[in-house]
Amino acid sequence: MTLTFGTDAWSQALVAEINGSSEYRNAAAKWGDGFNGNVLLVFEADGASPKGHALLVKLVKGACLSASFVPGSSHPEAGFGLRAPFSVWKDVLARKTLAATAILTGKMKVEGDRMTLLKHTAAHRALVSCAAALETDF
Amino acid sequence: MDKLYEPLVQLLEGTVRTPDQFTADQLSNYGRIFQWTPRFVVHPRSQKDIVATVAFCRSNKLQLANRGSAHSQSQLAISQGGVLLEMTAMNGIGAVDEKALTVDVEPGVVWRDLTHHLKKWNLVPPVLTNNLGVTVGGTLSMAGIGVASFKYGSQGDNVVEMDVVTGDGKVVTCSPEKNDDLFWAAIAGLGAFGIITRARLKLRRMKPMTRTYYLLYDDLRVFLDDARLAMDSGRWDHLESWGAPCAQGTRPAAGKRQVFAKWFYPFHLTVEYDPGSPPDDAALLAGLRPYDNVYTDDCPTIDFLERMVPVFELWRKAGTWEFMHPWIECILPWETAADCIEQVLADTPPGIQVGGHVLLWPAKGKTSRSKNFMVPEGDNLVGFGLLPAIPQKFWSEMSERLENVSRMMLMFGAKRYLSGWVNFTPDEWREHFGARWDELVALKRRYDPDSILNPGFVPWTPAP
Repeated sequence: MTLTFGTDAWSQALVAEINGSSEYRNAAAKWGDGFNGNVLLVFEADGASPKGHALLVKLVKGACLSASFVPGSSHPEAGFGLRAPFSVWKDVLARKTLAATAILTGKMKVEGDRMTLLKHTAAHRALVSCAAALETDF
Repeated sequence: MDKLYEPLVQLLEGTVRTPDQFTADQLSNYGRIFQWTPRFVVHPRSQKDIVATVAFCRSNKLQLANRGSAHSQSQLAISQGGVLLEMTAMNGIGAVDEKALTVDVEPGVVWRDLTHHLKKWNLVPPVLTNNLGVTVGGTLSMAGIGVASFKYGSQGDNVVEMDVVTGDGKVVTCSPEKNDDLFWAAIAGLGAFGIITRARLKLRRMKPMTRTYYLLYDDLRVFLDDARLAMDSGRWDHLESWGAPCAQGTRPAAGKRQVFAKWFYPFHLTVEYDPGSPPDDAALLAGLRPYDNVYTDDCPTIDFLERMVPVFELWRKAGTWEFMHPWIECILPWETAADCIEQVLADTPPGIQVGGHVLLWPAKGKTSRSKNFMVPEGDNLVGFGLLPAIPQKFWSEMSERLENVSRMMLMFGAKRYLSGWVNFTPDEWREHFGARWDELVALKRRYDPDSILNPGFVPWTPAP
């Protein structure tokens, strides 16, 4: 079923996808263990979308506690941020660009402790892979 | 016929080839990533030939690349439309000075030939690369590292003196004491400042036999602790290690199932000894905590130095020698090494063992004086390399992933070793050389004012 990006239905589907993913469960087993693993995905408005979005995903030890679109482009509960123009996110979610490439080339900005993020690259890849698995109408 | 052919031939003792005579090897290097066609391939016979070729290139505005065994994988040892100097005919080995423990060699000498030549004196260069089929000129231009580098630095650190033909055609004898700026520009200088035509190499006495302990680790961090212990103990002459995958089947990764591995870490520790005085195994291995002690091998030291020859022969027989080789090698700070290696290997398929391997080498940060061989700060370092052999059809899929590995290494504070596949932006080149960059740009202007030497790799001069 195609879901509309930016809706509650989309964010709830993402929670289900993450919690049903053995890839995520294994790769992120240590994510959020002893630190705030909540991630804010910031989709910045650009030519691909006139409206920006921010998605707060609460993550701890291989599980997703919740996901919700939040107002603004920052959030006090976020431990990390991944911020990119909408067009970059679309390419990543369509698997045209590797999330790692976007991060490592600076097209996707990282907020939070970069070294912690680097030590859990498989976890972010699995998270993005879950989002990419949703059939989405942007 | 090319109008410059006859004038060039007239200048030289050596031979000149034109594109109709080129072999496939002359259009690429071991990387097989670039296909470049030179205008001429020159086989110089002497330093005089090289001086003449440099002058010819300057007056005809031709660029000049040089190669030994062309083991580089980026835009080195190949030429697009210029002159490619193949140095293999300049392979003379001079007299051995047994008192000073030195030997003079020409740049086309292959290390394997040199080690055999020196065998009768029980002498050996302090550092030898794993692949002995590469040339002296080639590895000195890169740094040249091997399993004894933790004790003796790079091969470039073990040069007493060199003759170099600069990019403005002068012959300069240089050493750490005399014309030292050119000496340290040429060592690990990627052939950008001059062409080495003679090197006086340090030698050391070797014992005739070696004993190697083949230890295996199942925990990277325990292995690294033991590697540091081994380096600091002063017991060992050679230290060598790898990542070895044990395939575990497939698992999902970014939308598709991929083969993955549990990684183990073989650690080979070697001592040289005299026959009749075998080493004390228990004393040597005291304090080490391997998962398994797999095997202990005694062999003549010359055989130990050639231990990788059968591996490379196998790669040739299997055909993987002709595959693409975008090797990604780096030197990591000790503090971040385990995290970086674990992240990279978690995503590395076990198939990397087909025609390639994963290298780990414990290293010391202060053993090299080379100014161009860039390493991170710190007393202890870890060399780490993914050395794959990739069929052409997988290149588009693999190149992005390998570039990400390189970027990730840099983010963990690594410095790349430059013989492999390096695809830096101009900013990344500056970052690589750090404070040395401005000096190198100035040295390039001084010693190669027309910027003819080995173009296309490091952007010494900004693009117009």
